[in-house]
Amino acid sequence: MEIELEEIRDFLAQRPPFDHLPDAALDLLLGEMSIRYLRRTSQVPPEGDTGDFLYLVRKGALEVHDSTGKLMEKLGEGDYFIPYCDNPDSERLQANAEEDTLVYLAPCDVLKRLRSSSPEFDHFFSAGTNERLRLAIHQITDDGGLNNSSLMNISAAELFESRVVQTSPDSTVLQAAQIMTEHGVSSLLITADDRLVGIVTDKDLRRRFICQRLAYDTPIEQVMTPNPIYISSDTPAFEALLRMTREGVHHLPVVDPDGLKGLISTTDLIRYQSAHGPYLVREILRAERIDDLKNSAARLPRLQIQLAESGATAHHIGQVVSSVTDAITQRLLVLAEQQLGPAPLAYAWVSGGSQARQEQTSYSDQDNALILADGYQSEHEAYFAALANFVCDGLDACGFYYCPGEAMASNPKWRQPLARWRSYFSTWIEKPEPMALMLSSIFFDLRLVAGDAELFDQLQQGVLEQTQKNKIFLAYMAANALQHRPPLGFFRQLVLISDGDHDNTFDIKHRGLVTIVDLARVYALSCGCTEVNTLDRLRFSAAHGALSQEGAANLIDALEFISILRIRHQAKQLKQGQAADNYLPPNELSALERGHLRDAFKVIAEMQSALDSRYQASRFY
Amino acid sequence: MAWWTFWRQWQSLEQQRQALLKHTPAGPLRDYLAVPFADPNSDFRTLTYTALDFETTGLEPQQDELLSLGVVDMRDMAIHLGTAQHEIIAPQNDIPEASAVIHAITDDQAALGISCRRAIELLLQRLAGKVLIAHYARLELGFINACCRRLYGGQFLIPTVDTLLLGRRWIDNRNLYLQQSDLRLNALRNRFNLPRYKAHNALTDALATAELFQALTVQRLPERHVPLKELEYRGKY
Repeated sequence: MEIELEEIRDFLAQRPPFDHLPDAALDLLLGEMSIRYLRRTSQVPPEGDTGDFLYLVRKGALEVHDSTGKLMEKLGEGDYFIPYCDNPDSERLQANAEEDTLVYLAPCDVLKRLRSSSPEFDHFFSAGTNERLRLAIHQITDDGGLNNSSLMNISAAELFESRVVQTSPDSTVLQAAQIMTEHGVSSLLITADDRLVGIVTDKDLRRRFICQRLAYDTPIEQVMTPNPIYISSDTPAFEALLRMTREGVHHLPVVDPDGLKGLISTTDLIRYQSAHGPYLVREILRAERIDDLKNSAARLPRLQIQLAESGATAHHIGQVVSSVTDAITQRLLVLAEQQLGPAPLAYAWVSGGSQARQEQTSYSDQDNALILADGYQSEHEAYFAALANFVCDGLDACGFYYCPGEAMASNPKWRQPLARWRSYFSTWIEKPEPMALMLSSIFFDLRLVAGDAELFDQLQQGVLEQTQKNKIFLAYMAANALQHRPPLGFFRQLVLISDGDHDNTFDIKHRGLVTIVDLARVYALSCGCTEVNTLDRLRFSAAHGALSQEGAANLIDALEFISILRIRHQAKQLKQGQAADNYLPPNELSALERGHLRDAFKVIAEMQSALDSRYQASRFY
Repeated sequence: MAWWTFWRQWQSLEQQRQALLKHTPAGPLRDYLAVPFADPNSDFRTLTYTALDFETTGLEPQQDELLSLGVVDMRDMAIHLGTAQHEIIAPQNDIPEASAVIHAITDDQAALGISCRRAIELLLQRLAGKVLIAHYARLELGFINACCRRLYGGQFLIPTVDTLLLGRRWIDNRNLYLQQSDLRLNALRNRFNLPRYKAHNALTDALATAELFQALTVQRLPERHVPLKELEYRGKY
């Protein structure tokens, strides 16, 4: 092989999986390659050809069909087609040239020999769709980790202060305060026999001691927070951050089975980036006016960018953004009650849709509802209408715009006593009409945000008992889940849709995330899963046999990969001061990402067709 | 020279080869001529081709010199990259600036090249029994012939397909308006949806020519039999 074959060499070296080959292996491959020019409409492999080649399109286009003649994908420059090489996805595929096409042929036996020269290259040919996707996610997470300040990559052990300042429960408040001052700390751990029994912070001293006018010799036991939540030293720092966000605390003791290890504080975390989550929540929970909440909410996009850049998974980002939205909602309810007086009867404020699933990115629109206790009378209507309007208006002001379908507590239809909610669900489940199904992505994904947990649990339990039994309902839900289909793949700057049509951009939401979210909902409703987060639903469903372990693992990978692309796309837009959207132009994707996306689409399509045949869902769409 | 021109009008290429073989002194050229030529009646798909391109110091085979050669073979209508070869050839004289601008071969690089004698020897070995593919073959043929006369005192000959002529025929057959610049290698490649390669490296151009030949003949693939002679260049422009 001659070095002057650089035109072909360069072309190969830029494309996965060949980009992984060391120079010597690439040269060896080039020496075994050949070039063919295919006439428009001619077949690949050509008649009489064994087809034991990888066909790399250099110019032109190929259409790939399965054995029934259905269009599987369209290949353009840089895409390749492997008809027979013993690849694990081996269906007998046939292609034909859609235009006059120049192809580079690499013999399968040579590719096989070269596998040993690079693990990544080997993986490309030996691994199936699913394994490739898994590897890709690992690589992306690794890339994110290049930034070593990423909270994803360190455990609490690397952050906490091991010089534990502690005292016993019978110390007086004065002694405790002296110890804290002496050590210059704002929190003190209370231990008995080397066991953690409580924690005291500056704030506790202010609120539970000074303001209560207690005596200096009061035992600290009476002022401390007993049995504080704690983490173990191998907890990822990110998890620690999440715990603080959710629990609204700034100090977390670190306790291992062999005893107390130390204390991690938000100050420790703030030395690392993306520590804004807990502060934001704290600020929100203290806000006195809608304007304060608006200011806090305005910081969500920046938080999202920071998290994305620190290598957080899409799952974690969804959790953080949703906790912030939850906090805003909770605070709005408190402010409403301050204005309107306490609620005349118990209620549960629930969110639906992406906020409920904790898959929100900044500025999703709001979906919510109110479940009222059964003592509800018409005289209560005015109060709850005012409450709901206050919260929904507040959320809108904070950028969580009104739901276009009016699926909000401010709509009287979605502000009803428990009994009425039960009859809503009974109707939807017994008579699953298309209109009701349109609401399914909101009302079959409900999560309690504030109020009476009992009310919510009662409703959810009843609903899940009904859905599990009702096969017709599940079949409708399955049909609903099959309304959104993943694309076949990409062709040049276009996204190829199943019927041979194309889109100009990849709609990450409807042709990606929604397809998986909808699948997970059907599994979850079929096995009584109370979780609404898609990842949790998939895990639960696999654990309860509604879905195979492998199917769940594959869908989780596909979900994570597509979500990461969305997070990155949105982070890029937010950084440029644009509104974040879900439309990814194919030219923003690398050849490798296109390949992985194609794998993800394949996983989704397989699971959709399995669901289709299981529920014979095609009867309903 | 007149006898030669007259003589070859009624002689087949193969007959000419046999006649030349008798008059050529022992050496690489004679060895080359000892191998029978491809039969002009055989189907063009069954033959083995070598695509060739030279970079030279100018366009006059009698006075200009070879600077590099690139060759690649085509068999069973597939170009085999393992057969690709590129050689820099050391000229006797300095490289004129006018040509250096085009092929970007500097005197220093050229000095490291093989001798012209070695290059022609190598070429004769590779071309034996093959069909030559070149774009504007007259230039490649002219240079090989001039070298063979100088080195071995004999005449060179080879069955040849010329992509420039085939391209002109393709355009003429479609009654398309033709400009001279339309016949350039890259202009023709563009017409056939072939990728743009960096021009003026002998091997890249040889490869580009072989691909163009594939494209120019692809519409004849469905025909049952296409004899080589229908595609052949017979020394006329």
